[in-house]
Amino acid sequence: MTTYTICIFTENTIGLLNRITIIFTRRRINIESLTVSETERKGVSRFTIVIKHESREEVEKLVRQIRKIVEVMAVFGYLNDEIVYNEIALFKISTPLGSKSLDVETINKEYKAWVVYWGLDYVVIEKTGNDTEIFEFFAYIKQYDILEFVRSGRVAVGKTEKGLVEYLPESEWAYYL
Amino acid sequence: MEAIASIKPETVPAASVAAIDTVAPTYINGSHALMKALLAEGVDTIFGYPGGAIMPVYDALYDYQDQINHILVRHEQGAGHAAQGYARVTGRAGVCLVTSGPGATNLVTAIADALIDSTPLVCLVGQVGKKLLGTDAFQEADVMGVTMPITKWNYQITDADEVPEILAKAFYIAQSGRPGPVLIDMTKSAQLELMTKPYVYERCQSLVSYRPRRIPKQEQVEAAAALINSAKRPYILVGHGVQIAKAEDELRELAEKTGIPVATTLLGQSTIPTNHPLYVGWLGMHGNYGPNVMTDQADVIIAIGMRFDDRVTGDASKYIKQAKVVHIEIDPSEIDKIIRADAPVVGDAKEVIKALLPLVKPNDHTVWRNEFRKYDAIENETITVPELTNTGGKIRMAEVIDMLSKKTKGEAILVTDVGQHQMMASRYYQFRRPNSLVTSGGMGTMGFALPAAFGAQVGAPDRQVVAVIGDGCFQMTLQELGTIVQNKQPVKAIILNNNFLGMVRQWQQLFHERRYSFVELQNPDFITIARGFGMDGQTCDERSNLSDALDTLLAHDGPFLLEVIVEKEENVFPMVPAGASVSQIRLK
Ligand SMILES: Cc1ncc(C[n+]2csc(CCOP(=O)(O)OP(=O)(O)O)c2C)c(N)n1
Repeated sequence: MTTYTICIFTENTIGLLNRITIIFTRRRINIESLTVSETERKGVSRFTIVIKHESREEVEKLVRQIRKIVEVMAVFGYLNDEIVYNEIALFKISTPLGSKSLDVETINKEYKAWVVYWGLDYVVIEKTGNDTEIFEFFAYIKQYDILEFVRSGRVAVGKTEKGLVEYLPESEWAYYL
Repeated sequence: MEAIASIKPETVPAASVAAIDTVAPTYINGSHALMKALLAEGVDTIFGYPGGAIMPVYDALYDYQDQINHILVRHEQGAGHAAQGYARVTGRAGVCLVTSGPGATNLVTAIADALIDSTPLVCLVGQVGKKLLGTDAFQEADVMGVTMPITKWNYQITDADEVPEILAKAFYIAQSGRPGPVLIDMTKSAQLELMTKPYVYERCQSLVSYRPRRIPKQEQVEAAAALINSAKRPYILVGHGVQIAKAEDELRELAEKTGIPVATTLLGQSTIPTNHPLYVGWLGMHGNYGPNVMTDQADVIIAIGMRFDDRVTGDASKYIKQAKVVHIEIDPSEIDKIIRADAPVVGDAKEVIKALLPLVKPNDHTVWRNEFRKYDAIENETITVPELTNTGGKIRMAEVIDMLSKKTKGEAILVTDVGQHQMMASRYYQFRRPNSLVTSGGMGTMGFALPAAFGAQVGAPDRQVVAVIGDGCFQMTLQELGTIVQNKQPVKAIILNNNFLGMVRQWQQLFHERRYSFVELQNPDFITIARGFGMDGQTCDERSNLSDALDTLLAHDGPFLLEVIVEKEENVFPMVPAGASVSQIRLK
């Protein structure tokens, strides 16, 4: 199984998420994670979808089917070594009086994770990194009482000289930047 | 983009006028904007069925009756298939107008059929008012969700101001690139409310995110030409895309210049006349013997406007392993989808062939071509001649189609339904003119023929339209006899009655040990039914009467139904069993 990160640039319209995910469903490809946000260009959204697949050929076919969607401007598929990518995980850790105290120094220095919220008898720790890093931290923090654990989808940028929006069809774009 | 119509604000017509009569200038409502948009797109015919959530549009239509011919069908599926028939013969989008909920869901089969057969449709569907959206209101269905996977594009209009722009997009998307169905779901509030700005219509010419490539890249054309020129045993496979691109003449020129034999898919039939010396027959599960077997002999396959459907390839893992493939296609997602292309060319078939013509060398592949003819002789001897020269027993489907073909000189538009009669019609009709076969290929939708024949007749009033329909299929949409009669369209329909769901029975015979599970039909008196609708008809049960019966059908002034009682248990051969390779095609 190879992990592929698929970046899809679309016009920002209602129902598009559905239209895109149907293509995965129809081909019985499981979506590992999915994030959507608007890009530096107004009205252009970027989907980052992570899948695992045995066949590169099938992934290429999938990419072509996605391109067929009218509102889709461009689709790029990447292997892990072609991108810089991260996820965010939040850990809600129980810290009632008398419980084992957190080793904040280890958390910060070794795991590069940060306490982002202090509650009355809990804290929220944020860990940014790839999935291996997040699970390493998970293994460490497990010794405390984890009340909640949540992970975002992947965000990724390609290791290319140009920004991906440069490849989009020409139009009179409005920029945020 | 150039504005083709810029219309000044005008008063709102009668029905909704009372309250705002005094305000001047007032702006038109969404329904009237829709009418104007349809006119701007050159729409002269709509197939539809009214209901609560589309009434404002019907109200507007009342004012446009002399410019837009609305045809009231008997079931929304009929509207869809009729619009498909219309689109297939005219090359322009067929337009359907239906109400929300059940109206829209009844249309679904036709939409799916149109998508897979690349037929342009613009489906206009009523929806509950904006405030009621998502509340499970009366006749609310999530038509956007339902049709998302079976439309090329769909959109929900919730605001009257959107009408001109969205309609322009809809027609552009439906009719350009690889054509397909587009659905516009329009809330009742958007139909009723007034636009807040003056109505202006600009036809859509391009979209940022959707840019089908018509003109091919020169290097792709050159690579394809080099492959074609190097071939010893080249073979052209023609799909529906060639007729969609109106590239029949260019295709013929290409074949004639290079001397390459041409076969067609089911939907590609009639692209080239069946008596053309380079035409070798049709491909696929029930196609001809030679064209199927010979695909495994070719060294270069030139596939044009076809998508290697599994009915054509049989087991794709064993298909044309020996050949290099030139794939000419307007839809890039079809390239390498089933069969890897050595020389893909993305573009409109007409443009690509035009670009290829000066680059391909004149050639003469007589020896190679003659190899096809050997198989023709075998097919003729074992199947065709025996089927056509019966003297005993009931009439065979083949005889009916052969005689029909001769009597119409191959000039008719043949519309078929789905099953054995469909395959027999394709086998025995000798097409002379392009765009002459309208059939449901990719979906295989029973009930397609009667409404599609009606739509084809509306779209091609000067041509003779003959529908060939199975007794099972006929009963799926027979209510459209009413539409045909009411609209006085001279559709000729032939029911080939074998009292069976014949094609399923054939499979049960061949692959399920003759266990005829629920395939026998107790049929009604079809002619009485036709008469009940006000249509003339007659039954033919005797071989000796067949010729007269066909003459009566074809000469009849107005629509006519001919029922022919045929052999109950005949089979369609050749046949590539499902999952077999095409060279394993069976003759019996
Ligand atoms: C809507 C629909 N339901 C079921 C089928 C499966 N099917 C394919 S052919 C066929 C039999 C058609 O029977 P008939 O119309 O009598 O034609 P014949 O094969 O006898 O010529 C059936 C049931 C289908 N194609 N479409």
